[in-house]
Amino acid sequence: MTNPPDDKKDDDMPDFSDVKSGASSTAPGAEVFQTYEVKSGDSLSKIAKNFYGNGNAWKTIFDANTDILKDPNKIYPGQKLKIPPKIPPKL
Amino acid sequence: MKNLIAITIALPLATTTLACRKSEPPPATPAESATPATTLPAPVSVSAVALGTAIGPDKRVTAAAESFGAKDTIYSSVETVGTGHARLRARWSFVKGDKTAKVDETTIELDSAGPAVNEFHISKPSGWPKGDYKLEVFLGDAETPAAVRTFKVS
Repeated sequence: MTNPPDDKKDDDMPDFSDVKSGASSTAPGAEVFQTYEVKSGDSLSKIAKNFYGNGNAWKTIFDANTDILKDPNKIYPGQKLKIPPKIPPKL
Repeated sequence: MKNLIAITIALPLATTTLACRKSEPPPATPAESATPATTLPAPVSVSAVALGTAIGPDKRVTAAAESFGAKDTIYSSVETVGTGHARLRARWSFVKGDKTAKVDETTIELDSAGPAVNEFHISKPSGWPKGDYKLEVFLGDAETPAAVRTFKVS
């Protein structure tokens, strides 16, 4: 997965927006996801575009967060969203 | 007369017997003492964290390192013990003086039946900036990390 760029960039600090990450476990059925804290001006499609390169993948994020999101158009700064790994396209 | 003697002897005997019974300690309850103590299963905790440039199929680090190159993929192997549901968060940060920049935060949610090995990895195609980094491993929503490892990119 790729990290989205931070809205508030510190000029003194390097840019880590192209960092790719992953994880796995020997525990059967383990679920892996990234965490993203909603910032002012975010929308699910914007977050999906940043993480997956495709704004239409917003439903993947919404479905993973139905415990805290009831309406995909209502997200609030400070909410911590689970970002599931990008599912590779079927060949 | 014989009857009077018999009553005289029998009465104190009966009183003594009753008195003795009263002072006897209550019988032990073997059912209670024989019940084995039940031990609750230990919750998941972090037992070891290693950093390196490669991991094996068992997800353990095979090439340990504390200093990495700009193009390295950095792996961490986090071993856990205990059973039950757990959320393991790995937060990678770049540290410059008293400033910290988040590099990545990835979570593994697991239902552990015993010891498990979990791996987290990060890479940066454009190259890691030189400097100091740290990996913090958290359990659940804890603010205090269960383990911290520092490393360098040079």
